[in-house]
Amino acid sequence: MFSKIEKNPLLVLAVIAGGFIIFGYSTSLPKITDFMIFCIFVLGFDLIYGHMGQLSFGHMLYLGAGSYGTAIFANSVSPDPFLGIAVGILTAALIALILGLVVVRTSGACFALLNLALNEVGAFMVLVPFPEWTGGEDGLSLFFESYGFLDFANPTFLFFFVMASLLAVSYLIMRFVRSPYGVFLKATKENEIRVRFLGYNTYVYKLITFVLSGAIAGFAGALNTINLSYTSPSLIDPTRNVEVIFAALMGGAGNVMGAVIGGTAFMTISNYLARYIIRWEMFLGVALLIFAFKFKKGIWGYLRRV
Amino acid sequence: MLLSVENLNVHYGRAQVLHEISAHVEEGELVCMVGRNGAGKTTFLKTIGGFMKPSSGTVTFRDQKLDGMPLEHVALKGIKYVFQDKRVFGELTVRENIELAAFPVKEPMDEAIGKVLNIHPKMEKLLDSKAKGLSGGERQILLIGRALIGNPQLLLIDEPTEGLAAKIIGQIVGILLQMKSKLSMIVVEQNLATVSRLADRIYVMKEGVIIRDIADRETIENPSLFEEGL
Amino acid sequence: MLQSILFGLTTGGILYIIAIGLSLTFGAMGIVNFAHGLVYTIGAYILYTALSSLGLNFFFGALLAVLVAVPVSYVIEKFVIRKLYGQSIDYAIIATYAVLLIGVDAIKWIYGPNPLPISDPVGESISFMSLEMPVYRLIIIGISFLIFIGLSLFFKKTIVGKIVVAGLQDQEAVRSLGINVEKYFAIVFILGSALAALGGVLYAPISTLDPYMGFHILILCFAVVIVGGMGNLRGTAIAAFVLGMVMAITGRMWGPAADAMVYVVMAVVLIFRPIDV
Repeated sequence: MFSKIEKNPLLVLAVIAGGFIIFGYSTSLPKITDFMIFCIFVLGFDLIYGHMGQLSFGHMLYLGAGSYGTAIFANSVSPDPFLGIAVGILTAALIALILGLVVVRTSGACFALLNLALNEVGAFMVLVPFPEWTGGEDGLSLFFESYGFLDFANPTFLFFFVMASLLAVSYLIMRFVRSPYGVFLKATKENEIRVRFLGYNTYVYKLITFVLSGAIAGFAGALNTINLSYTSPSLIDPTRNVEVIFAALMGGAGNVMGAVIGGTAFMTISNYLARYIIRWEMFLGVALLIFAFKFKKGIWGYLRRV
Repeated sequence: MLLSVENLNVHYGRAQVLHEISAHVEEGELVCMVGRNGAGKTTFLKTIGGFMKPSSGTVTFRDQKLDGMPLEHVALKGIKYVFQDKRVFGELTVRENIELAAFPVKEPMDEAIGKVLNIHPKMEKLLDSKAKGLSGGERQILLIGRALIGNPQLLLIDEPTEGLAAKIIGQIVGILLQMKSKLSMIVVEQNLATVSRLADRIYVMKEGVIIRDIADRETIENPSLFEEGL
Repeated sequence: MLQSILFGLTTGGILYIIAIGLSLTFGAMGIVNFAHGLVYTIGAYILYTALSSLGLNFFFGALLAVLVAVPVSYVIEKFVIRKLYGQSIDYAIIATYAVLLIGVDAIKWIYGPNPLPISDPVGESISFMSLEMPVYRLIIIGISFLIFIGLSLFFKKTIVGKIVVAGLQDQEAVRSLGINVEKYFAIVFILGSALAALGGVLYAPISTLDPYMGFHILILCFAVVIVGGMGNLRGTAIAAFVLGMVMAITGRMWGPAADAMVYVVMAVVLIFRPIDV
């Protein structure tokens, strides 16, 4: 049953939409909005982790880039939220492009650690040199303009806007994977040398993927800023990379349903479990170990065999 | 029978490299594996040596099944491997290379060094030089000498004369012939003239299958007679 | 300026002591071991316990810390690292990071999340050419040199050392001689971890003791390993001291940028000399 869902993109979108509407209205719209924003971040991350096959330990950099891009724009130029989101996405994409030119040439441990190093540098840039712009340790408090019913302060509007964003990103990724680019990416993941031997420029494909991944992460960051009307260094914190890695691994790398399930599962754990189990971070570590050793394909990986 | 291989199938991932290989080596025999590049000769040798696991089939060495045994244990059972590409431990000296070989079998160093000097007395001057400074021929001889430590019963030798000058090849052939009395060998060789001088028997391989088993002296000494099969 | 150089040497010495284990594990097993930061943290916290609860002096506290590190790293090696052999590097990173997370949370549980103080065990400085140089820092530099010499001798003269050097170069060839390389790599892993604990002990009095100290030092050590080359003993030493100097000099000119500068250097090195693992 589950594998059939995956084959039909519209069905996937319907399941995601339906699931979150039920979840949202039975618990709390703002909370589930947080969940969905995180899922967008996971989708972006999964593009390089699951589809390109490389682990980045510094993807928070792009979440932060989007978040701060939007925040600084709103603070200094215009409180228009739509422009703000666009600026956030572009900031993240641009940084991903510049850094990606070099980062994408590496792989394996080098790739993972280089991204971590760049994340650390990014975090430093936000915290120290330009506190007038970035708010330093305290972050920035923001105000966003509203236009009639297009009011992000309205939880219902925000909920459905974020859901539409999530569905759009999911659809984009599903199309991407089925496109020629996506096919080349998959082939590159399995055996890059062979693809290069066939005459294809794998570097370009990887770079495009990296930029797209950064842009999506930036989108999540921008939404985050609008959601909270606030940004802070915790959105670019390198130690939080484990959250998105865990979500991608736990949900199932390399597909949209996996990323969304993983994101939801992680947020559920960190939001609800923390109330019942004080040492929930230890629990997270143990769960991560179990998944890394025994359930590499994640939740969706096992469900889709049903 | 010293070594017996039955219905061996080996895969690299999903690609099958060896198909239903059956072969054997008697005590004191020197068997040569010949065939084109990619025929599966090295894979065959590596599977016996324990570097690769067969997907099915058995390798039996003196009534003991070797399949699946980790390669360290295979070596300790008396099967030693001489690598292609003259792979010595470049950063260590010749003496240290020998030391490493002697350590797991607890052979005294003078005995171990003696074995190497026995096949190539000139190595004595090189004992304290870094192995990477040795010439191709010297490295090959070091590899062979190193494999003799611990008194193995079977040597698996992969392309020992590759890239070497004719004179050195002659030297190595002489060394291998000298060793024949003490142990058995499976030698992968491309140079058919060398094969003629060395082999008691020849297996001809093509595309992962053994197509011929040549035991008569006349054919062995006449490479042109089996060359086309390649 | 001279003061900065001396401080840089101290930091470099400590980075070397901690990073060498990481470098060896990376070079030998191809595993990025995040759990290394945990052993470092445990070393420092055991020292604290020894000093505050057990009433031991610094020397015995340090000894206890290193001794505790041995069984801890043995367990990590046996139940996590060994299972990661031959697996994709990503899982090694994730699994060892998970171990770090679990351990750090355990430490937070036992000792609380707040920073703990450990004072300079020597407490004196010597004056030399208008410089005030704390004796303790000189001791650290001395110890790191001793360890460097000790390790060099170990790898050049002992059979275990030679096996490891050969194994780092060509694992298959060593195994084909009948040597169980994994066992010796495990020994080196424990040795490297013990050094990490020692590093934690030595650094504790001149830095802060908090549960997350392992994360912080780990990334710096990754920088050292990457700049110096994995499994490259001399390279790690040089890189450690160079980066220590970078930190000290940057710190003097623009305090908070000290760490960030190391990451910039690391990124630049990775750009011009990418490693393919």
